[in-house]
Amino acid sequence: MNVRAQLVMVFNLDKCIGCHACSISCKNIWTDRKGAEYMWWNNVETKPGVGYPKKWENQEKFKGGWLRENGKLRLRALGKGPTLFNMFFQPNMPKLEDYYEPFDFDYGNLYKAPTGSDQPVAEAFSQISGDRIDKITGGPNWDDDLSGSQLYAVEDSNLADNTLVSDYGRMFMQYLPRICNHCLNPACVASCPSRALYKRGEDGVVLVDQNVCKGWRFCTSACPYKKVYFNWQSGKAEKCIFCFPRTETGQCNACAHSCVGRIRHVGVLLYDADRVEEALLKPDDQLVAAHREVILDPHDPEVRESASRNGVTDQWLEAARKSPVYALVKEFAVALPLHPEFRTMPMAWYIPSLSPVISSGGDLHELADHGTFPLLEKMRAPISFLASLLSGGNEEIIADVIKKQIALRLFKRAGNIGQPIDDSILKNAGLDEAGANKLYRLFTIASYRERFIVPSQQREEQDSYQRKGSSGFGILKKTRGAK
Amino acid sequence: MLNNFIFIVLPYTALALLIFVTPYRYFSNRLTWSAYSTQFLERKTLFWGINPWHYGIIPVLAAHLLGFIAPGPMKALLGNQRNLVIFESIGLALGLFAVFGCLALLLRRVNTPILKKVTYTADWVLLYLLAAQALSGVYIGVFMRWGSQWYLHTAVPYFWSLATFNPQIDYMADFPLMLKLHAAGAFLIVALIPFTKLVHLLYVPVGFLTDPPILYKWRSR
Repeated sequence: MNVRAQLVMVFNLDKCIGCHACSISCKNIWTDRKGAEYMWWNNVETKPGVGYPKKWENQEKFKGGWLRENGKLRLRALGKGPTLFNMFFQPNMPKLEDYYEPFDFDYGNLYKAPTGSDQPVAEAFSQISGDRIDKITGGPNWDDDLSGSQLYAVEDSNLADNTLVSDYGRMFMQYLPRICNHCLNPACVASCPSRALYKRGEDGVVLVDQNVCKGWRFCTSACPYKKVYFNWQSGKAEKCIFCFPRTETGQCNACAHSCVGRIRHVGVLLYDADRVEEALLKPDDQLVAAHREVILDPHDPEVRESASRNGVTDQWLEAARKSPVYALVKEFAVALPLHPEFRTMPMAWYIPSLSPVISSGGDLHELADHGTFPLLEKMRAPISFLASLLSGGNEEIIADVIKKQIALRLFKRAGNIGQPIDDSILKNAGLDEAGANKLYRLFTIASYRERFIVPSQQREEQDSYQRKGSSGFGILKKTRGAK
Repeated sequence: MLNNFIFIVLPYTALALLIFVTPYRYFSNRLTWSAYSTQFLERKTLFWGINPWHYGIIPVLAAHLLGFIAPGPMKALLGNQRNLVIFESIGLALGLFAVFGCLALLLRRVNTPILKKVTYTADWVLLYLLAAQALSGVYIGVFMRWGSQWYLHTAVPYFWSLATFNPQIDYMADFPLMLKLHAAGAFLIVALIPFTKLVHLLYVPVGFLTDPPILYKWRSR
């Protein structure tokens, strides 16, 4: 057993209102720089939709993630030899148009325009070339709320039957906020010829060493989630850093902090690093179970001892025990990994959302038959869609999670209105009363300190002589074109 | 005078700059150590420029180096007329390939508006210099035939005399102007390596070939 700690985020999609507050706080802190204008380390997508960059889920196009081959994992894109021969022109790299050409508006013109017969306007200009853009054709959330779009939503690769996009009675919409998943088996790290990307041992955050990166660009396509970006100004790769300057001091990430719907939970998971590969060799529909197997019980003394031997401090072990993430991912098994079939073992987990019932004129009264909450079979978002997104196609796992959420609502509603509580409802969904109350608290009224249990890094235990000169404000050394 | 400048002053200056400025740049600010790829902004023309250029120029450069490192075996290999013709033909083809690529890259910078903001003076200097160098190389290949053979008997001993700090410019003094320009261009390019994005050619990633796929780093270890 080789126990390591990982900081993990869980997203409760049932509560996401698609307000983009997370994206904006991230942008303001990290990517409002030259060369990074087009980057959204955190973005929110409308599902069904093509996302950002467009069609990122299509690995036939971008060749991201890992493949299982002859009992081994290999990068889908390029082996080591071919990597050397494709350094000059990286064949799978997403291009600017796959994201969008970043733009701003010339607001100064509103004040400076010479007197004339027309109202002055703020014209759009490219933040790359500075040239005027006549017609903006893309943005970071270009298909926002367009889940009925014949241009975008029908292209969603998770839809088994994309005719439902145009069927008013069956169409549905959900939001999907995304950050870097800080995977346990990151394809970006494996693809880097310079070895600039690495996984930080203490908290599992995946980072790019800007000093080592030479801009070979293989990471941008190897990441199946397209969460490594190429800075066209500095010539280096950049990605979500899980707000490590914040988490190191015990604060939660900016995106999670600013979340209006309070959909996010951050906490520690302990996992067995020796079993990651074995778990990833399972068939697609068994991957979620295999992912959960790798995650260890922080209450188990054997696990704790092994973790201590690997340098996981008592403070981190305590955080792991209280972790809201452990409760959601493993204890109640309601959170699921995004596209586990990409085989990077992502560590951002999602609680699938409930959805309204399928309706056609006249059968709305059916609602009353099953006590206010829609039945699993009646939900608009097809189980197959959620399964394609969150469980490698395993529909049973999705049904289990949705059943738990329905049971929880029925249970709490009965309690609130003073009806007798039917135990079998919870039992059939695999819950008990104590568990249901804990889950209810996490889903609804959990405070900041319950949703985010982020232990700080023990800097005092590190070699201060080593650390001297390795940290700082980063203002002395500058990238190309930096002012 | 010109000979002394091209064959003594230039090479030693270039070498000194390469040896002393490169480590300075490496240790002072590695944030500018990148090939500054522009593939993200424009990729259609780049494909037809960057691949021919690299796949043309790398073998040609390697052949120049090989002659310097192992003149004996090369003389033996090229002493055979058939080998010489084959070697020369391949070299010329690769040279033309490189010229094509370099000109494509140059025209791409001229014709692509979105590249305007990432094109610096150094990029123009390098592109013109490399294009001129490749063109003069092809000129020499065509009009001063069997260069792969006479190179071993003239430039190579001259390089070794440079390396032993006993420069013998007599080896090079009587060559036509075009070859002198080719030599001067080469020294100039070497001198520019530490100051421009050409530093990327000083780093060939091979470590990853044998490394385990996932790299871990610990702050505390």
